Amino acid sequence: MRVEYINPFVEAAFNVLREVLQSDVRRGELYLKSTSMPVMGVAAIVGLAGDVEGRVLFDMDKPTALKTASAMNGEDLPTLDELVKATITELANMITAQAVTKLHDLGFRFDLTPPAIFTGDNMEVSNSDVEALIVPMETVHGKIEINVAIRERA
Amino acid sequence: MTAQSIERATEPRGEAAEPAKRADKVDFKMVTFSLAGKEYGIDIMSVKEIAKAGRFTYVPNAATFVRGVYNLRGDIISVVDLRIFFHLPAERKEEEALESLIILKIDEHVFGVIVDAIDKVVGISSAAIQPPHPIFGDINVKYIKGIVENGGKLYIILDVEKIFAPDRDEDIPKPVILENQKLMEEAAEESERAARFRESTGKDIASSFVGETLSSFKGFHVTPVNEEWFEARYAEWKSGRKGSELQLKEASEADQFLEAFWSPSTGRLWEDEYAQAAEKILPPIEAKTINVWNPGCGKGYETWSFASILKKRYPEIRIKIWANDSDLLAISMAPNMVFSENVPEYYAPFMNKGRNGLAFSQAIRDSIFFEFHDVMNANPLPPLDFILCRDMLSFVGPIDQKRLLGDFYDKLKPNGILICGSNERLGDGWTAIGAQGVSAYRKG
Repeated sequence: MRVEYINPFVEAAFNVLREVLQSDVRRGELYLKSTSMPVMGVAAIVGLAGDVEGRVLFDMDKPTALKTASAMNGEDLPTLDELVKATITELANMITAQAVTKLHDLGFRFDLTPPAIFTGDNMEVSNSDVEALIVPMETVHGKIEINVAIRERA
Repeated sequence: MTAQSIERATEPRGEAAEPAKRADKVDFKMVTFSLAGKEYGIDIMSVKEIAKAGRFTYVPNAATFVRGVYNLRGDIISVVDLRIFFHLPAERKEEEALESLIILKIDEHVFGVIVDAIDKVVGISSAAIQPPHPIFGDINVKYIKGIVENGGKLYIILDVEKIFAPDRDEDIPKPVILENQKLMEEAAEESERAARFRESTGKDIASSFVGETLSSFKGFHVTPVNEEWFEARYAEWKSGRKGSELQLKEASEADQFLEAFWSPSTGRLWEDEYAQAAEKILPPIEAKTINVWNPGCGKGYETWSFASILKKRYPEIRIKIWANDSDLLAISMAPNMVFSENVPEYYAPFMNKGRNGLAFSQAIRDSIFFEFHDVMNANPLPPLDFILCRDMLSFVGPIDQKRLLGDFYDKLKPNGILICGSNERLGDGWTAIGAQGVSAYRKG
């Protein structure tokens, strides 16, 4: 993944999370991964097109999703209902959109696909020939992992 | 058959004789025993129990160090004589006599090992464990975890997991006996190889040890790619130092050893001379685009240098360079590199003066993609005209290196060129075309 793409995603994730949660967010060590990996329970995915092809996956466990959605809506949401799913989808959209805006300013043209959300137990993403950058974010509500896989169109 | 399990007895903590300053916390316990008069230890976490046993059932066709199998309360375990395994003298006891047996549990496998005498359980601080010293001689260093002093005795801690660990690639555990069979074959092969090595080099086990230290300190692996350099460098190193100073004891010494390895102009823009030499080996190309891959580009100095050389040699052709490194910090700096006034003359036509100093022109900039990428993952690249990987193959393990070279070969176009480190050599399938310090190979 091009070096220029890394920072916009990290910054966007950091800014948006801090803003919507109104609390401290800590970024973990970035690393690369290419094996299939388990999904914690709630995963929102946004596709990227344009100069590049790729996707961004936001992965968190169910309690984190519930607490994050509750904080964003300002009310207690105890079950993973439509509102929670819509909120997490929106969060994914906000972060990706902000990153893409930053990239646009740097001269890269990216388009987004509408986000989709997956929930369930024991899920796994496997596209093992795609290398992904993992950006772990520690929030007060738990860990959110942002998994970015982008490559240039040949 | 008799088996009298002996209860594990932990030595009382902090013996009175022990000086007070050694009040380190005890976080490592080992079972100690003797082999041919020397004291050894095994991590207690690998030890299931200890026993006295004898009259093992002989297994035909087994390696000499396998004494047979033994019925441990209904479980059949194989029994290895550690003394024979390590080529130490072992006294043959009478037919009925009992041997001291340590029962090990490694992963799911249970083994018995015979030793001369089991001593006791000793608790130590893991911080006190020293790395193994090359001149232990009797036992291959790779089987030794470390050495520790306790109560006036030196204990050699064996790494039983390395000795007995089954092949981790295999998911399905095999029956113990089969596993053992394989181990025996491997061990026999290993000792044969070691013997051959000793014969061929006569004196220098130390050189292979220097090689191992380089891999553990710096990730440098001695392989056919750099063997020639390593041997010459070792001879030089040896003549400059004597006795115990021969070995590399710390990372800084390994750095010193490798100082002579780096290709010219590592960590800076290529000097005029090297750049001109590199330009000379570039063949005429008739194409619309030239694709280049530069894995392990680090901070990108060589990428910028090579991009300028290509631009000069092929001014009309579009150039695309994919430069990767898995070091996030180094690669992050690459795209925005700014230079002070004194860069080699070669690059002057390709640079513009900016506010902070000299930077490469937009045309060069646009030709390079710096990527945060690990070459051991999939490398989605189009067919390539050039691969630039100076001093990079030597820093991946032998198996990965083989895979990577295969990948390089597949990705290069026919007659594509690979430029490697000045002290690196490629073998079959590659034609050397390098000159004047530039080591380059043509595919085929």
